[in-house]
Amino acid sequence: MPDQGRRNFLLLLPVTIFAGVAATIATAAFRYLRPLYTRSDPKWSNVAPVSQLKGEKPIMRSIIAEHQAGWASTVEEHFVYVLPGQPHQALSSVCPHEGCNVSWRDDTNGFFCPCHDSYFAADGSRVSGPSRRGLDPLPTREQDGVLQVQYQTFINNTEERIVRG
Amino acid sequence: MTKEQNPYLPPRIRRWLSRWTTLEDIERSLVDEPSSGLEAWARTTAGVVAMLVFVQGVTGVLLAFYYVPSAESAHTTVAYIEKVLPAGSWLRALHHYGSQWLTLFLVLHLAQMFWRRGYSRRPVGWMSTVILLALVLAGGATGYSLPWDARAFFGTRVTEGIAGGLPLVGDASRRWLLGGMEITPVTLARFFALHVLVVPMLILLVITARLFVFRERGIVSDEEERRLEGWMFGQVGRNAIAAGLVFLALALWAARFYAPLGPAADTAAPGYLPRPGAQFLWLFQLLKYLPGRVASAVAVALPALIFIGLASLPFLNPPRLRKVMARPRRNLGAVLFVLGFALFTTMTVIAYVEDVRDPRVRDQLARQAKEEEAFRAAPFSPLRTRTSESNIEDEVEGDADRVAASDGAGGNLRPSASPQSSPSTSASPPQTVVSATSPPDSYITNCSGCHGTRGQGVFPFPRLIGVTSKPRRSVEDLVGIINDPAAYGLQPTMPSFATKISDEDKREIAAWIAVLKKR
Repeated sequence: MPDQGRRNFLLLLPVTIFAGVAATIATAAFRYLRPLYTRSDPKWSNVAPVSQLKGEKPIMRSIIAEHQAGWASTVEEHFVYVLPGQPHQALSSVCPHEGCNVSWRDDTNGFFCPCHDSYFAADGSRVSGPSRRGLDPLPTREQDGVLQVQYQTFINNTEERIVRG
Repeated sequence: MTKEQNPYLPPRIRRWLSRWTTLEDIERSLVDEPSSGLEAWARTTAGVVAMLVFVQGVTGVLLAFYYVPSAESAHTTVAYIEKVLPAGSWLRALHHYGSQWLTLFLVLHLAQMFWRRGYSRRPVGWMSTVILLALVLAGGATGYSLPWDARAFFGTRVTEGIAGGLPLVGDASRRWLLGGMEITPVTLARFFALHVLVVPMLILLVITARLFVFRERGIVSDEEERRLEGWMFGQVGRNAIAAGLVFLALALWAARFYAPLGPAADTAAPGYLPRPGAQFLWLFQLLKYLPGRVASAVAVALPALIFIGLASLPFLNPPRLRKVMARPRRNLGAVLFVLGFALFTTMTVIAYVEDVRDPRVRDQLARQAKEEEAFRAAPFSPLRTRTSESNIEDEVEGDADRVAASDGAGGNLRPSASPQSSPSTSASPPQTVVSATSPPDSYITNCSGCHGTRGQGVFPFPRLIGVTSKPRRSVEDLVGIINDPAAYGLQPTMPSFATKISDEDKREIAAWIAVLKKR
């Protein structure tokens, strides 16, 4: 009968080697599959020359935002409302309830979402309806006479405003 | 002495294993007569092959997490794995070189089995190894096309040449392989399905058949098992050591050398010299020597003959043949082995020597290597797609012409529009909306927020252009959808507008949508 040491060695050796190979690949696989938390710095998109943004009512503008996710860079069209007054403020047109696009209504002097009848005031704050918060403001800046906005999306249906991307 | 007193496995584990698993049966059919010294180490090719098959499976699955098999995305996703993802280039190099090492170790395994007369003592093991070698080569040939760079494109040409060289069915098999007359996006999808589904499934089938279906005479009695057990456990250890060392070498190799990836196929300059993977260089050289139809049939038939001969070696032992020569299988097998080995070695060496000797070839290959290096050094450039089509078209100029040019009706020789060469290329051709009238006011108020002022759709909401060509989307149906979207199976995000829009406006909206057409 073989001695205990040799027996244990012969049992442990293959297990150890296999574990070593598996652990090496698993470490690489973990780094490789890990979701990418960091996103590239949000880019500034042109909205319109400031000279065009006049009047008493919010103005809807479409912007082109480039969104990079993984290997694909998606060019998306989004809508923003530029509020009257200086400095310019911008709201995302996406309803914070289920993500439809809101429209401006003269009769209520506010925003209205046609999907589930959420009403918002002229400054975007919540008035009534199922939405749990007001319209989401977006960072803006002025560059060479052009208003620019940093387009962001937010998580739907929450009271708090949480940036999604 | 009963099994409970077995010297190596603790009795409790042994009992559990024989109660709940078939491992004992597998072990009994796998274990062969003991060897010692160098021969025992030579037999560890079995463990090395098992390890390499495992590594190929795992790394292949990992690559599939990011790879997209379409002509638009394939090259970009491979570049993403190589340049952006942590450990991506190491895992891909493991997969790339692992395939070549697996081929090498399968040949060594076969040689080692042949040496020990495996074809007569372990016919199932012998045949499954030959088939495994053929399948691993098939996996290499199909996998080579997937990165969709210049190398892959011309590698596909070589594979196509091999298929075309088959006697009688050459032309048909070439077309079936390519999915047409030319290398197109259809070809890529086919090679992908073959590489990740068909070949691995067949490999699993062969392994399963070997381990679980066919029984070979291994250990027959407990007494024999006792006799062999000490050796067996020692051999498991030797296999593990060999497999571990080979893995270490492969891991270091993959960390040192990149798996090749050049610029996208359509950027290859004229005069590009294709070179297949190392395990196919011999076949490539053979095809070079023998131009013409009949000759290429020979170039394919010769290796095929060697394979079929080796696979059927266990049966080549009829009494009549035995009268002529003493050990027909030994002799035939030796002839096939020497032939195959000579063919492989001489052709591979000649291929390398020719490439170094001819100054023009040498310069061109150096140029290609430099291009690959430059591509590797360049930062990753993402694939541009878009999700809605309204005024983006106006912003991204010069795009439409390019896409239109590459959007030929299936006759694409090269993978279409590469993201590297033109940053503004889109995945789908733009379809400009032509509408006779502007939308009704009620559409603007109620619908345009999600479906766009021109029906083009605002991500993620659907476009309405051309929707009436679908079933259950007549003008009456559209009015029905406005009233009760759920009845038409629409997502709950789309609410009912039954009471919000007047019936007259609903009809006007539906009529306007029906006019929207694709150009």
